[in-house]
Amino acid sequence: MNVFLAALAFWAAAWAVNVWLSRRGNSSAIRLMVPTVFGVTLLLLWEGIVRGYDISAVLLPAPSAIGRQFVSELDILWVDFVQTFVKGALSGYVIGCGAAFLTAVAVDRSPFLQRGLLPVGNFVAALPIIGMAPILVMWFGFDWQSKSAVVVVMVFFPMLVNTVQGLQASDHMQRDLMHTYGASYRQALQKLRLPAAMPFIFNGLKICTTLALIGAIVAEFFGSPIKGMGFRISTEVGRLALDMVWAEIAVAALAGSAFYGSVAMLERSVTFWHPAQRG
Amino acid sequence: MKHLITTAIAGAMVFSASVAQAADDVTLQLKWVTQAQFAGYYVAQENGYYADEDLNVTIKAGGPDVAPTQVIAGGGADVVLDWMPSALAAREKGLDLVNIAQPFKSSGMMLTCRKDAGVNSPADFAGKTLGVWFFGNEYPFLSWMSKLGLATDGSDGGVTVLKQGFNVDPILQGQAACVSTMTYNEYWQIIDAGLTPDELSVFKYEDQGVATLEDGMYVLGENLKDPAFEDKMVRFVRASMKGWKWAEENPEAAALIVLDNDATGAQTEKHQVRMMGEIAKLTAGSNGALDPADYQRTVDSLLGGGSDPVITKQPVGAWTHAITDKALN
Repeated sequence: MNVFLAALAFWAAAWAVNVWLSRRGNSSAIRLMVPTVFGVTLLLLWEGIVRGYDISAVLLPAPSAIGRQFVSELDILWVDFVQTFVKGALSGYVIGCGAAFLTAVAVDRSPFLQRGLLPVGNFVAALPIIGMAPILVMWFGFDWQSKSAVVVVMVFFPMLVNTVQGLQASDHMQRDLMHTYGASYRQALQKLRLPAAMPFIFNGLKICTTLALIGAIVAEFFGSPIKGMGFRISTEVGRLALDMVWAEIAVAALAGSAFYGSVAMLERSVTFWHPAQRG
Repeated sequence: MKHLITTAIAGAMVFSASVAQAADDVTLQLKWVTQAQFAGYYVAQENGYYADEDLNVTIKAGGPDVAPTQVIAGGGADVVLDWMPSALAAREKGLDLVNIAQPFKSSGMMLTCRKDAGVNSPADFAGKTLGVWFFGNEYPFLSWMSKLGLATDGSDGGVTVLKQGFNVDPILQGQAACVSTMTYNEYWQIIDAGLTPDELSVFKYEDQGVATLEDGMYVLGENLKDPAFEDKMVRFVRASMKGWKWAEENPEAAALIVLDNDATGAQTEKHQVRMMGEIAKLTAGSNGALDPADYQRTVDSLLGGGSDPVITKQPVGAWTHAITDKALN
């Protein structure tokens, strides 16, 4: 009971601090502090509850244990990160999004492809990854190539749909203007339609960052060499080493946020003209 | 009158149902999928040995991604079957697993290699890809590699380890030079797939001196303090060992009982009869009680695992004779 009351009191106090902070204005320092205070509060609460209720480390490890494991196993975490994120997710992302982009340009050019390819792509996108991953492992082997293939299949259709929609985003007046300037198809594409499509393309790219990481991790559950984030998470759970599992989850969260954040920053500089980027 | 008869029948059914519920419930988590490796338990269920002991046993099948230690830690079973290295490693992690019976006396684990991959003796392992299952099955293998001085993290001069799944495809497709096999299961899958014994080099853990105790029954130590639970386990062990001895004497019939209980339909009669014959070799010599000498040999093998031992100190309270003393005497 004491633990519960102490936790409640701590939570209320931290909430009050955060409310007071957010009322003090909107400077960038305050905008940084509010989520930091919230995050630190959650971590402290977690640590306190695990210690106070003496929860077994096999069920829920304390953040301090996770942090210790993170620091001591940094080399293993790095190897897993390179295997899953760099070799699996990133390569699949580049290949998948690149292929989707080129296909979208082709689809835009040819109404036949538009009517034929999009429905097929729709069907392929509906295939469950849990079913496809073992098949791709059988085709491409146990190493990162099959994970890359899974990521390609996962990111292809969302990127394709977004790019096709983006290429249709420029309105009639603007295209007529290009026509009056005597622009060829390629010039119109380069100078009007692609820049106009950028918000949609980046939307697709941002969606695909999360899909790529998920795909790479889940594909590793179905066969992998003994490295990689998915492999580590599933086998360390089997060994009841939950602190290592949480350390891997932390790495995945950091990698995913950094990936998404860098694409979002690139979007800000490329689509500076869009109303969403102003102010 | 019709109404009266219907009510009487319904009442009798409810009464019999409540009487049936008076039997004690036990959930058993198997170590792998339904197969003759667990014939004793299916026989005990089919021949009514559990019912004779007033037990209502639910048998949960396992698989390549099911760790029995995890299941019992999460409360999914009362008693699990596991290999001793996995149970001792879990014990060191803080899970109070206690061995209450040991039906399997000998180890059936082996490493099967292709001669055309250049493996004729353990000296040839370095630089090759070896497959092993995880989720509790990797400990004997890691212990052996550590004893041979072979690093398993992929560094030079060591071995590359592959996480095996349910089948032996890695060796058939050449993705691995060797795969972990059991004498009663995967070895025969390789033979059935077309490779002949002449094309294979087989290394039995028993011959290499790295054998560890396999299928044993484990429960949580805190549950053993409850006299009702302890009594339930005594009856469970007694009926299960009766089932095992019947299965050893009637291998074909036991295999058929296992097949009847195979919900996946993936097992074949030929494979199961062969498996039961091999399993009988492993259970022979044990009446269910753990031999402390065997236990110590397993512990020493795990502690002597070179730079990366599976356990780091002598386990305390990892087994008990309290259940088998009452069950078998």
